[in-house]
Amino acid sequence: MSGETDPEDDRVLAGEYALGLLSPEEARAFEERMSAEPALRELYAGWAEDLAALTDDVEEVAPPADMPARIETALFGAAPRRSLWQRLGLTWIIPGAVLASLLTFFVVSNDLLVLDGDVPPLRAEIAAQDDSLRVLAAYDADDGALRVTRDAGAAAPGRALELWLIAGQGAPVSLGVLPEARDGVLQVAPELAEKLPGATLAISDEPPGGSPTGAPTGDVLATGQVPSQGA
Amino acid sequence: MATPEEIEALMARVALGDRAAFQSLYATTSAKLFGICLRVLSSRAEAEDALQEVFVKIWRNAGRYRVNGLSPMTWLITVARNHAIDRVRARRAENADLDVVNQMPDEAPGPETSAIQSSERARLIDCLDELPDGRARAVRLAYLQGETYADLAARFDVPLNTMRTWLRRSLLTLRECLSR
Repeated sequence: MSGETDPEDDRVLAGEYALGLLSPEEARAFEERMSAEPALRELYAGWAEDLAALTDDVEEVAPPADMPARIETALFGAAPRRSLWQRLGLTWIIPGAVLASLLTFFVVSNDLLVLDGDVPPLRAEIAAQDDSLRVLAAYDADDGALRVTRDAGAAAPGRALELWLIAGQGAPVSLGVLPEARDGVLQVAPELAEKLPGATLAISDEPPGGSPTGAPTGDVLATGQVPSQGA
Repeated sequence: MATPEEIEALMARVALGDRAAFQSLYATTSAKLFGICLRVLSSRAEAEDALQEVFVKIWRNAGRYRVNGLSPMTWLITVARNHAIDRVRARRAENADLDVVNQMPDEAPGPETSAIQSSERARLIDCLDELPDGRARAVRLAYLQGETYADLAARFDVPLNTMRTWLRRSLLTLRECLSR
């Protein structure tokens, strides 16, 4: 067990890990290796898939009717006043505090292993006032990726949509041109990512390939607020 | 139950903070995940708390299920199972004197439940059946009750290292069978 890499041993080790039979130290060591060794990750995934079949004959039971409300309260705080709060993006700030308190309890858990990384993603909705354009964005610090999904609207024919970061009183900085496809990933440089919490995101109408000047040249079509911390 | 593709699509939207998708995901998966929490924890109140925490985790981490290469449903099951196991272990640690372990109901599934036969499950069950007596049960107890090597050694009344050797050997046999 002490740092061997015998492939046969790894198969067993991955199974022990999936079953939760390793000591906390062994489990941590396994996770560290797993993050660097795709083959080990695959062994673990194989066990997780196979063992999940043990739940096939676990009877489904409807949770109590108030469970969705309990979850919503835990995540978003009590009684969300949707329109105002959501538009201001404030719903995301409260859960941060709630989660922080829950987390101290969670961390004992062996399933951070499953979750890999513990910085919650920053998520924002960038929408036109009439919702004619709506883009959801989520930034994950673990891989520096800003995942975007265009929910409604599109660039005008022969035009492009460009995403901008506006931090405080600063000038807009381009985060890139949105892909033509509905879903895409924009890679965010670390020095820009630092400015994301609490910033405003905006989408402007630009020529193909994006603004030639480095600043928005067309109309601002949609804006949204990034929460000051992830949830 | 929704198809894996539907669940995957919902997870992708939850990852982006789509609350409507989160509600749909809850509607399609919560009964399964609550069943798992109940099975592990054998207490309705605790299972409810666990389920609430599980969905908080799902909301926060939906974007990351791909990291370890799990299918979406397996990821959800694993999050619920692991969280419930953590709770049951914390409870055992608190009640060490009460010997909760031995009061746990046994895991033999009744014949009526075997109606849901996925091929995945059939394969696992067949392979478990190939293990020597008691070993398959130890695997189930570890997965569904969170029993540790120490718990299992006490239950089967063998030394800890014997238990470990048994189970490790069983896992190897199981893996070979499953890979066939």
